[in-house]
Amino acid sequence: MVVSPTRPMPNLIASLAVLVAAALLAFGLPALDRALPAERPVEADQRYEVGAGVSVLPPAGALLDVTRTRPREDRGTALFVLGGVRYAIVVEPFDGTLPAAAERLRQKITAGRGYQVAGVERPAVTATGLAGIRGGYTAPRRAGRYSVFLVDGLVIEVTVSGADAALRGVLDRIDASTRSLAVRSPR
Amino acid sequence: MTVPARPPDAPEPVTARWPDAARPLRSRSARTAPVRPTPAVLGWDGSLLLPGFWMVSLLLVVGGVRIATLLRDGFAAYPVATSVALLLFGLYAVPFWLFVGALDFLEREPPVLLACAFAWGALVATTVSMSGSPAGHNLLAKLGSPELAANWGSAIAGATVEEIAKTLGIVAIALVARSQVNSVLDGVVYGALVGLGFQVVEGVVYSLSAVALAGRGDAVDPVVATFFLRGFLAGPWSHTLFSALAGAGVGYLVVRTDRSAPSRVGTAALALAGAWLCHFLWNSPLLGDGLGYGGLGVLAGLLAKGVPPLLMILWLVRVARAREADFYLGQLAALGDPRVVTDAELAVLGRAGLRAEARRYAHGRSGLRGGRAVRRLQRAQARLAVALSRVVPPGTDPRQLRAAVRSDADAGRWYREALAQRARLLRLRHPEALAPHQRRTTTRRWATGGLVTVAVFVVWLAIRALGGA
Repeated sequence: MVVSPTRPMPNLIASLAVLVAAALLAFGLPALDRALPAERPVEADQRYEVGAGVSVLPPAGALLDVTRTRPREDRGTALFVLGGVRYAIVVEPFDGTLPAAAERLRQKITAGRGYQVAGVERPAVTATGLAGIRGGYTAPRRAGRYSVFLVDGLVIEVTVSGADAALRGVLDRIDASTRSLAVRSPR
Repeated sequence: MTVPARPPDAPEPVTARWPDAARPLRSRSARTAPVRPTPAVLGWDGSLLLPGFWMVSLLLVVGGVRIATLLRDGFAAYPVATSVALLLFGLYAVPFWLFVGALDFLEREPPVLLACAFAWGALVATTVSMSGSPAGHNLLAKLGSPELAANWGSAIAGATVEEIAKTLGIVAIALVARSQVNSVLDGVVYGALVGLGFQVVEGVVYSLSAVALAGRGDAVDPVVATFFLRGFLAGPWSHTLFSALAGAGVGYLVVRTDRSAPSRVGTAALALAGAWLCHFLWNSPLLGDGLGYGGLGVLAGLLAKGVPPLLMILWLVRVARAREADFYLGQLAALGDPRVVTDAELAVLGRAGLRAEARRYAHGRSGLRGGRAVRRLQRAQARLAVALSRVVPPGTDPRQLRAAVRSDADAGRWYREALAQRARLLRLRHPEALAPHQRRTTTRRWATGGLVTVAVFVVWLAIRALGGA
């Protein structure tokens, strides 16, 4: 193994340049991302396309978090924020049954430390007739609701979470929004 | 000792490209891609004095801790799936590593530097990308729209952050051991290994995400599906390929000191832009649904996006390898000693297929010992060529070359080894390491083509199994 000598000063400058470039990517971009606001207002009376043909009427007064919203042709996610309450909708292909979809969502929820499913599950139905299941969960200093719907090879997962008091104040608007979930047909 | 006439049953050998010692002066390597042989002057302690060494060490430790934490969490949540992902993607790396390592037969790279390149891709570039890439996606969503981020985020933000992070690794290798990056081909080799390291860890991370998303506990099938998707469908034209192209640019930047700084930096930037463009096209939603007609159309779309960059980079590797062979074999040719290397052997030595054919031919005529002696002779010839190039410039008079063989320990050692293997071949009545059956090499090439076709068919089946239509 042989290595030729290289002048230390240019090597130091070049090494610092590599270090700075790596730091810019690893820390600079996230810092720039944090410096820019993520939330955008949305019209409550205009349907928002979540993805894969699924749309929803956003709750009145909600803001859309564009960093957690990714509409695609075959799937999609949307995150609405109302004060301290987060209202997330996830749509993706799924070939199982409704109980299996509900079980999967419960597993995702309880994967978080301190998250527990609470109470009993009940049937849910949207204004367009999509049948689903809804339930509740608790987390440290937060409470949450979830719903899951199955239609045409797609699962629609809805989760709502926030501090108890904040949640109570907006739950009616969010429930109304969830009932407005619709799937464009045919996909 | 002289090399006796070829055996009567030996077909006409391949014609050598070095009829006289003056030719190397006008070799292609001298004109377009010079090689800067590693000077034999310092040991590892030279690198320890360089700031670049400590910078690389620091980043490798930081990246190592980050990836180890990620794997620890993976093992805690999904022990079986994590083990299977590591095993599958670990095994997946082996043939790639062997292929990339074999590119540089004449002047092998130090294993520790190859491992360093792999580790940069696996630990540093992935760590940097795990922070930078999501931020890039978010910036696209904020400055553009969520639709833009969803459809083009991977193509724009992913390709930009990942290609830069990987290319920094090739630059880092040049900073740690600049003299080891002594040809464009070396840049390709280090770049490919940085990309391979990235590809392996990225595959493991994607597998664990798929397991978590599936929400079925410690399930293995999301890992297998990810392995098919990222290993078979995306593997042949993925990070290894992109970074090999960027590495060629860094190799050019380091080696072509005869060119102006703007020209070298511009070429390196162009190579990085090429790597980015390949990555961008691959990640873009263009032809995302293929060309219609279900799984077959998806396969056609996949090939349309992946094959042109693959062919372009393979061509680049072929050219770079030929240039390097020109340089080193020119030194052997100038030595003018048929006991060390004959004209026909010179033509064989620069091409992997012909080297293998020469070993097979010897094995067929003289058994295992014949094949082994040819392999050792080829290795001695290659090491002697490199050793000579380190102590004398190209175009040196044959007498000076012979003097160098006597005075330089490394050159002397490989010279004696070449003579010893020649003597062994003479005893085996197989005096010359020829590859006379070029047709066989061509047949093997066709057989490889057939295997590739079968692989494409397997990929198509995988697409169908994954619901590609």
